[in-house]
Order: sequence, then structure tokens, then C-alpha cells
Amino acid sequence: MRSRLSRAVLLFGKEWRELTASRAFWLLLAIIGPLVGHGFITAVETYAEASGGAGGAPGALAQGLSPLDGVLVPTFGAYDLAVTLLFPFVAIRLVSAEKSSGAWKLMLQSPASLTQMLLAKGAALLAGWSVAWIPGLLALGLWKTYGGTLYPPETLNLLAGHLLHAGLATGVAVAAAALADSAASAAIVTLGFTVGTWALEFVAAGRGGLLQKLASYTPTSALRVFEQGQLRLSTLAVTLVLTLAGFALAAVWLDPRRRTVERVVRSIAVCAVAAGLLFTSAELRPTWDVSENRRNSFPLADERALNRIRQPLHVTVYLAPEDPRLLDLNREVLSKLDRVLPGMAIDYAARSRAGLFEGPAERYGEVWYELGGRKVMSRSATEEIVLETIYRLAGIAPPSHAGELEYPGHPLAARPTGANWIFYVLWPLVVALSGWVHFRHRSRT
Amino acid sequence: MLLTVQGLSKSYGRNHVLHDAGFRIFENEVLGLIGPNGAGKTTLFECLAGLVPADSGEVTFRGQTLGATHRTQALFYLPDGIRPWEAQPVRWVLRFFESLYGRPSGEGLEFAKALQLDHLLQARIGSLSKGEAKRTLLALALLTPHPLLLLDEPFDGLDFRQTRDVMALLRTAPQHNRTLFLSIHQLNDAARVCDRLVLLSRGAVVGEGTLEELRAQAGKSEAGLEEVFLALTA
Repeated sequence: MRSRLSRAVLLFGKEWRELTASRAFWLLLAIIGPLVGHGFITAVETYAEASGGAGGAPGALAQGLSPLDGVLVPTFGAYDLAVTLLFPFVAIRLVSAEKSSGAWKLMLQSPASLTQMLLAKGAALLAGWSVAWIPGLLALGLWKTYGGTLYPPETLNLLAGHLLHAGLATGVAVAAAALADSAASAAIVTLGFTVGTWALEFVAAGRGGLLQKLASYTPTSALRVFEQGQLRLSTLAVTLVLTLAGFALAAVWLDPRRRTVERVVRSIAVCAVAAGLLFTSAELRPTWDVSENRRNSFPLADERALNRIRQPLHVTVYLAPEDPRLLDLNREVLSKLDRVLPGMAIDYAARSRAGLFEGPAERYGEVWYELGGRKVMSRSATEEIVLETIYRLAGIAPPSHAGELEYPGHPLAARPTGANWIFYVLWPLVVALSGWVHFRHRSRT
Repeated sequence: MLLTVQGLSKSYGRNHVLHDAGFRIFENEVLGLIGPNGAGKTTLFECLAGLVPADSGEVTFRGQTLGATHRTQALFYLPDGIRPWEAQPVRWVLRFFESLYGRPSGEGLEFAKALQLDHLLQARIGSLSKGEAKRTLLALALLTPHPLLLLDEPFDGLDFRQTRDVMALLRTAPQHNRTLFLSIHQLNDAARVCDRLVLLSRGAVVGEGTLEELRAQAGKSEAGLEEVFLALTA
């Protein structure tokens, strides 16, 4: 009998062969290079203009320029597109082809377990996706050769976000392929899921409550967290749970040995366990700001001062979800406070969409801060003013910011030299040549 | 006794595909399952293999009850009409099965040679003719270590000479402690290759035994299998 490891290697080899036999995979590789290249070249040129190159923007604008926003996010944006619209079809094929060809019936009788087989598929897809990352990594290399700066924590965090995004897309696609009768139906289910998450984001925008909470974990929203230089444990855990739930559902529906009723019951059980885990995961508070410019954090002096507050802070916000002031308050103040003051509780008191006209109207726009039995009201969404309010409440002297270093920014007026050739010519040629050699070799062997 | 099947039933909605089917399989024999199209032969095989859950019935393997989830320890079922891993060459598929089942290296090539596939080792499964694909699948089945092989229409797509050669190869398989249970719609082939036969009609077993025993059961002492079959399924 084969050891587990050697069987895992064998199954991975089979899945890898099947993956590379898929024209959809080669198409994905061929398209991803120019997509990444377009994002990268445009980003580098725009960054150069903002940095004051070629008679562009004044120097003041160059201050605070971050490669994360300026180059990395737009470059890797291509992968968001590919994961949403291309990669699911590659994943679907890996499952559907075996189902429709009868290979799955043979594999179900083999010594390999269903879990081993699904893990092998997942690993092969991950390996395939890693190959698709080569243009993105090339872009990072090019950026360094131009003299650009990369801050490893925020760069790795962004890559982790994209990896999780791909994992989630794989989980959804594999589950859809297991549930649907054909690859075409699975593709429709997967696209339906994607469009559904977009619709959720659209509907939830400005609504608040559970819908907004749900919408904050859609694949796109989850990716935004990483793009903003945040490593949020809840987002990480929710995405992983959703991915695993997709694979678990696939395991249920890829096993024809069980009755339909039993499979439905098991699916409900998977969904129930996943829902429990999602609920728990969503409550996880730890968040790390890994951005170089600490955009998600207060200045260090303020964080030290806030850390001295031992009593829980209670905030009551009378702003409707669709009110842009609430958006600013959440982004600029409350999300930062939440990381420094873990005991903080926020109560969004204006719940309806027509918050502007709901009662008690006289309180609309107010934000109340309560600490140790004392309450103070402020209407500001500005970081400095809110912090001052809290210090006053806590009886703490505002800290001095003297000597604190401002984020200098990394302006760079560079031209994307060679990028056109690499992404628009060399990469497609390499993929086409590799594909030709691969299929020619396969037709001979 | 290798395997005993009792009271095997399977319905899809109101369509009763198998009805209280029961029969025995002896060690090292070649047992044929014959029946007209739609008799339930494939469903019977899939239920036996545990790939489809039966509504009721019991399967005993060497005296021990064998649950559906443990059938893969005792038997291997080769479905009809499948074309697995179409993009892969024959050689790779044979090696994959060799490795998957821990068979000696080169055994797949031996079966390929015996099944006259040696000139097709480089060909993709998807490019094979129906008969070539069938012989490749038979080689895969022969690579499995199970004591009982269930082969659905093993001669479908084969010409007369190939059928004869495959029959000869299958005949040698029992010498390696293999028992074969073959679903065959060609009654002449069935009569030639099988030691005993199970006759299935409308999901029910209407006869079981050697040709002589079936003749006696049908009351036609000199009849061929076709006549016997017609008599028992009338």
C-alpha cells in the first residue's frame, strides 16, 4: 500500500497534468500578462505624473505618495478580474471533466479518499494560480529596478489578500461544479454567485445593519481590506471558512454513494457549521495596520495616550448609513479607535435609510462619547477633534506630536521602461511557445 | 462462495429498476449477467459497487456482510461508455493506475501488450477508437487488485478477433484468483465466455446457473442461450 504522501504526490501529479491539459488554463496565462502589464504601465506613468515628473504635478502632491495605492493595487487589480471572470472556469473544468468522462467513477473506487482527491485538486489549482502570478511578480521586480520602493509587510499582505481571494473563488467553483450536472451549469452558478455578491454590495450600500455587515465580507470587499494595508483577522477567518465550506459542499455532492436526502442533510449541516464559524469569525476584533504610512492608525503618541484609558468607551452615532459623514467617521476615527480600544462599543442609533427625517430629528448628526459615566457630544468626523473630545472625557492631556516623523512618501518619476515588451510581447510569446511545446509533446507522448 | 446478493432493489421515483434481485458468485468463476436493454444491468452493477445507493438488499462477501462503503475493498466496477482522462496518453493512464494500486512497474505495459495496445501507448485516450478505448479500460481493470471484477459490456466495440483475444485474457485472469462478473448483451459471447449466467429481466433475476441448468429450468434441453433466455423471460 502506498504511503499517504506518495499517494498525495501521485494525485497532485494527475491534477497538474489535467490542469495543464486545459486550454482554459493556457488562455488564462496568456491573458493575465497583458492585463497585469496594462495595470502596471498605467500605474507607473500616473505615479510619475503625481511625483512631479515630466512637468507634472507640483512637489506638494508628491509628498505622501504610497506605492501601495499608486502601483501595487492597480497592478494586482488584474488578478481581481482574472479570479472573478477566468479562474473559476479553470477550476470548474478540473471537476466537471472527471464527472462527465466517467473518470470520477473510477477514482471513487480507488484507495484515495475523497478528501485526498479534493485536496489534490485544490493544490493543483493553487499551483496553477501561482504560475499566473509570475507577471505580477515581474511587475514588482521591474518596479524595484526603476528605483521604486516596496514595503514588505504591505506587499505581502496584498499578495495574501489576492491568494485568499483566489482560494475563495476556487471553493465556490469547485462546489458549483460538484452540485451542477455540467460545466456550463456550474459556470452559471459561479457567475450567479459573483453577480449576487455585487448586488449585495449595491443593495447594502448605505443601509447599515446586517446587510452592510454581510456585504463587508464579499470577495471584493474582503480584498479591499488588504488593499488598504490592513490585516483583519475577521476577514481572513471568514474568507477561509467560506473557502473550506465550498470544498466541504463539493465533498458532499461529489459522493454519489449517498442518497440525495442524506446529501441534502449533510449540506445543511455543512452550512450550519459554516454559519456558526462565520458568525464567530466575524466577531474577531484583532486588526493589524501593515501599511507603511500607518493610514489605518492614529499617530503613535495618540495610540500610547489612548492605551492608558482603562474604562470602556461607548459611542452613540446619530447618522444614517447612507450619510457620507458616517463613512468618514468610520474610516477616519471609529475603525482606528476600535483597534486601540478593544472594549469600545458603537451604537448606530439612526437606523433607517431616511435617517435625515426620522425622529428624534433634533439629534441627527450628533455623535455621543461616553466614558466613566460622563458624556460629551461632537458633530465632527475629524480625527484630531474627536481625539481631543475623548482626551477631555478621560481627563488625559493630549500628547505632544513633536519629533514624530511624518510619512515622507516615495515619489518616483520613472518611465515603465521595457514593460511594454515584457507584458505585451514577451509574456504572450512565452506562454504561446510553452503551450505549443506542451501540447505537441503531449500529442506525441 | 465469494459473494451473495439478496433482495437488492432500486427505484428512481416510480421507476423500479431493480426488484428483489438475488444471486451468488463463486470464487474464480466467470459469471455473466445477461438481459435486454433496460433490464437494470448497469444499475445492478452500480449498486453492487456501492456507487449508487440501493434501496434495500444485502451483499455478503466470503460470509461477511459488506456495507456499501466497503465494497471497494472487495470489487472493482468498470463502467461502460466512459472515456476517462481524454487528454492523457494511454501509457500515462496505465502507469497512473499501476502507481495508484501499488502494482509492479511494467504490469500495465504487459496488459497493454496482451490487449494489443502497445502501438497506442503514445496516443491520447480521446483519440482512441471505441474498441481501443475499451481495451485500455480493460487493462486498467486488470491492474486493480480486487478479487472480483465487474465489467459492464467488456466486448462492446471489439471485433470478433479482439473479442476472442480479450476472452482468452479474461479467462486467464481467474487463474490469478480473480472472479469476473460480466454484463454482456451479446448472448453468443456470453455463452462462450461465462461459466454461469444470471438472467435479468425488468429488474428481476429470472434465472441463474450454468447453461445446462438454465436449459433444465426452461425445459429446453437442446436449446441455445437465446432460446433459453426467451423462454425464461416470456
